[in-house]
Amino acid sequence: MPEILKYREEELVMLLQAGEQQAFSYLYDNYAGALNGIITRMVEDRQLAEDILQEAFIKIWNNFSNYDPEKGRLFTWMLNITRNLTIDTLRSKGYKKQRKISGDENSVSNYSSDNKVAEKFDTIGLRKRLINLKPEQRSIIDLAYFNGYTQDEISKEMGIPLGTVKTRMRSAILELRKLLQYN
Amino acid sequence: MEIKEIISSGILELYCMGMCTAVESDDVKSWTVQYPEVAAEIASIEMGLENYARANAVEPAPGGKEKLFAHINKIPVTDIGNSGKGEQLPIQEAIVRHISPVWKWAAAASIVLLIGTAVTSVLYYNKYNNANNELAGTRELLQQEKSKMNEMKQDMDIVHDPYSKAVSLVGMGQMPDATAKIFWMQNTGEVMIDASNLPDAPAGKQYQFWAIVDGNAVDGGMIVTNDKGIKFRMQKMKTFGKAQAFAISLEKAGGSPTPTAVVSMGKI
Repeated sequence: MPEILKYREEELVMLLQAGEQQAFSYLYDNYAGALNGIITRMVEDRQLAEDILQEAFIKIWNNFSNYDPEKGRLFTWMLNITRNLTIDTLRSKGYKKQRKISGDENSVSNYSSDNKVAEKFDTIGLRKRLINLKPEQRSIIDLAYFNGYTQDEISKEMGIPLGTVKTRMRSAILELRKLLQYN
Repeated sequence: MEIKEIISSGILELYCMGMCTAVESDDVKSWTVQYPEVAAEIASIEMGLENYARANAVEPAPGGKEKLFAHINKIPVTDIGNSGKGEQLPIQEAIVRHISPVWKWAAAASIVLLIGTAVTSVLYYNKYNNANNELAGTRELLQQEKSKMNEMKQDMDIVHDPYSKAVSLVGMGQMPDATAKIFWMQNTGEVMIDASNLPDAPAGKQYQFWAIVDGNAVDGGMIVTNDKGIKFRMQKMKTFGKAQAFAISLEKAGGSPTPTAVVSMGKI
């Protein structure tokens, strides 16, 4: 699986660099849900969240020449754009980083019904596997990944020493990788 | 740092989440080039997080994609999505368009043309400035010449005046070359002197003009020789209704009540 997917990503990147709208359409179908998940974690206002997703994709389209595959996966790049845009937007509107740590109540049960994108990627399957992730492990990942918290902020939020944020993150992601591994 | 140490430290996880400082990021980047294991680990972390993001996906609002493409293609957003909210994107992004090479060349050519025009403008502006300065200089010169002409005319008027009587003063004693010409206006009594042939007075001394009236020398004023602008023009002396002779003496600067050293004289 990694080989095929990698090839596909390279192809996708090439097509997007050439300004192919079909490739961009594919990109939207594949990633809009995941990026929207990040935005809706931070933004309660639905209209605002929609606008941010739009702007994020416009940025991705307009600045695609800035993406350097050497520096990381396409999704990581898109995620950074989206997260920074969300944080900047919230800040410009006077919000603080919202404390919406997802517990079990949030991610697994609440988003199931009207999620068509989910089916494409077996999102429900992935979610089921996440049940086994410890809440504190999920929290540390969510704060960093979805809410853009710094190490310092995580240390304060979770009440753990700054020095252990790195190692806790490592073990949480290791667990995550184990759980979400494809067969 | 050992590869294993790097991998187990957790820094790669922070890197993937964008939580590293600039210095740490640079370190990680150099490791990915150096160690394929590090690059592979980063790819796995990214993949894991990507799957996590997918697991937390939330379907975008319906019509969002159409709106996005409408924006990209600059189609006005009207009926798309049929959401009825009439939402317009508050964002005004610059649209990147692919432009045909012809237009690129055309744009390049117009920039070159623009620069060329600007350079030419500067050159011509300088030329214009120089010409303007030259013109101003010439005008000034002309003005000077005109006023000189005017002065000369005034002097010549005195010579031509039917009432003017010319009296030549000739050098005497130690200064045989101390000559001057007097024009005495018979109708007004005005006395003008042309002292242009008079030698310059030595430092600290000055020529004094005299009229001999009934045997007495009467002061007629000082003659200027050290200012060429005045020396070479007619100088107006004091007015005399009658006189038998005119004389010039060399006195100390400022003059003397009586002549002490007469250097030039002319009888009428």
